[in-house]
Amino acid sequence: MGVAVLAGTRKGLFVLTSDENRTDWSVEGPHLVGWEVFHAMRDPRDGTLHAATNHMVYGATTHRSHDLGETWERTEGIGLPEDSGLTWEKSWHVEPGHPDQPQTLWLGGTPGALFRSDDGGSSWTPVQSLVEHSSREHWNPGAGGLCCHSIQVDPSDPHRLYIAISAAGAFRSDDGGETWEPKNSGVAADFMPDDPFPEVGQCVHKLLVHPARPERLWQQNHCGVYRSDDRGDNWERLEGNGLPSGFGFPIALDPADADVAYVVPEEGAENRVTPDGRLGIYRTRDGGASWDLLTGGLPQAAWQSVKREGMSFDRLDPAGVYLGTQSGSVFATADGGESWVEAARFLPEILSVEAAEWS
Amino acid sequence: MVVVLLPSLLATEAGGQGRFELDAETVREALRELPIRDLIFDERGQLRPLVNVYVNSAQVDDLEGRLADGDEIRLVAAVAGGGRGAVEKVSDTHSRLSRVCHQTRPQPADARLRTGCAPFGSSRAVSPRCQTP
Repeated sequence: MGVAVLAGTRKGLFVLTSDENRTDWSVEGPHLVGWEVFHAMRDPRDGTLHAATNHMVYGATTHRSHDLGETWERTEGIGLPEDSGLTWEKSWHVEPGHPDQPQTLWLGGTPGALFRSDDGGSSWTPVQSLVEHSSREHWNPGAGGLCCHSIQVDPSDPHRLYIAISAAGAFRSDDGGETWEPKNSGVAADFMPDDPFPEVGQCVHKLLVHPARPERLWQQNHCGVYRSDDRGDNWERLEGNGLPSGFGFPIALDPADADVAYVVPEEGAENRVTPDGRLGIYRTRDGGASWDLLTGGLPQAAWQSVKREGMSFDRLDPAGVYLGTQSGSVFATADGGESWVEAARFLPEILSVEAAEWS
Repeated sequence: MVVVLLPSLLATEAGGQGRFELDAETVREALRELPIRDLIFDERGQLRPLVNVYVNSAQVDDLEGRLADGDEIRLVAAVAGGGRGAVEKVSDTHSRLSRVCHQTRPQPADARLRTGCAPFGSSRAVSPRCQTP
């Protein structure tokens, strides 16, 4: 079985493919020329490619392809209710629904909004409960806008969903999106010194659910790396344990080992670049109790930045992990991070990478 | 019958068709007929601020303007660029704005441009007005 990495960039979508060894890569593209591809994924349920696409002039939408990128079709008519006073600004992330709901997809974006499709992405309906959420007045946009960037479906329960919005925090729904409860207990908002642990307003940068142990969640936050073992009810900050900084954007997991996670720390909010003048990826194998620096095959004279969607992992054994930099390189590992190969370079600014089966 | 001409990205989104011949009485009516209407109008039905409309080489703001048989409508994406930090300077400085704006725009007959300039990555489009140098 082969693997693909869908690299969404400021200038279209690129598809990197390899065999199961994941050492030799081919690059194909760009698709969706002219569009900023904030995120793209291949739906594992039917193989369709979906992309969250934006254009400075023509607005925010989604595209999908049923033929691996040969042809694309655009969704028309994405919009928020007029009486909400909100308008759809950016498409950030498109996520497959639960396998029990094969036509369901989720789309998140700015301004802190979520859409649901029950027809495979032909049409999108705003999730009204989030539009009208009682805490919305306490949400504030981060530098990337008020973006709903993380959408996770509990693999053990199609009705349980998680989203994260910068800077509104993490939310969980146990009823398929009918209601949303803030899940930010223990998560700091250091940028709000008058109330550093508010109910909402945290700046989550990326939130993931472990696919095999779905009660365990991880998040890379503006203010630290966190783990929850109770579906987000409580979070533990993981720092002072080998990480040079709690600040960063992406996070990746190992689907076979819930204690493993990868992050790419940056110096801090005021200097968003990898520390020590090198590209270092940090890995924990003990649930965040300690972190090891990984440098094998990575540039050691480098000042890099990686977006919140800039890491992904595949479902092979051992799992591959992928990293896309703003300077246009994609790095891949197939041995748990010990060694990395540069799968592509000189791409446009990479906004997202997403691994997919590709045969 | 009127003709509508699309820029390349819109033509791609229209299935590769960049020229449409339509029966329409107003500019808005003609644009609403296009298969890419969602890309030029926002969800409230407003023309997106960085989409410029020309009728027979003159820029128009009034989409309710009546069309005559044979009129040619051209859609043009406003020139935009610059960094996040540059937008205020650009919009505040007439001479620089003019320089930025005139570089690749077609020149309408009355030499008055109505231009939207916004930086990549800007969450808000700004639509300053400027004149050709």
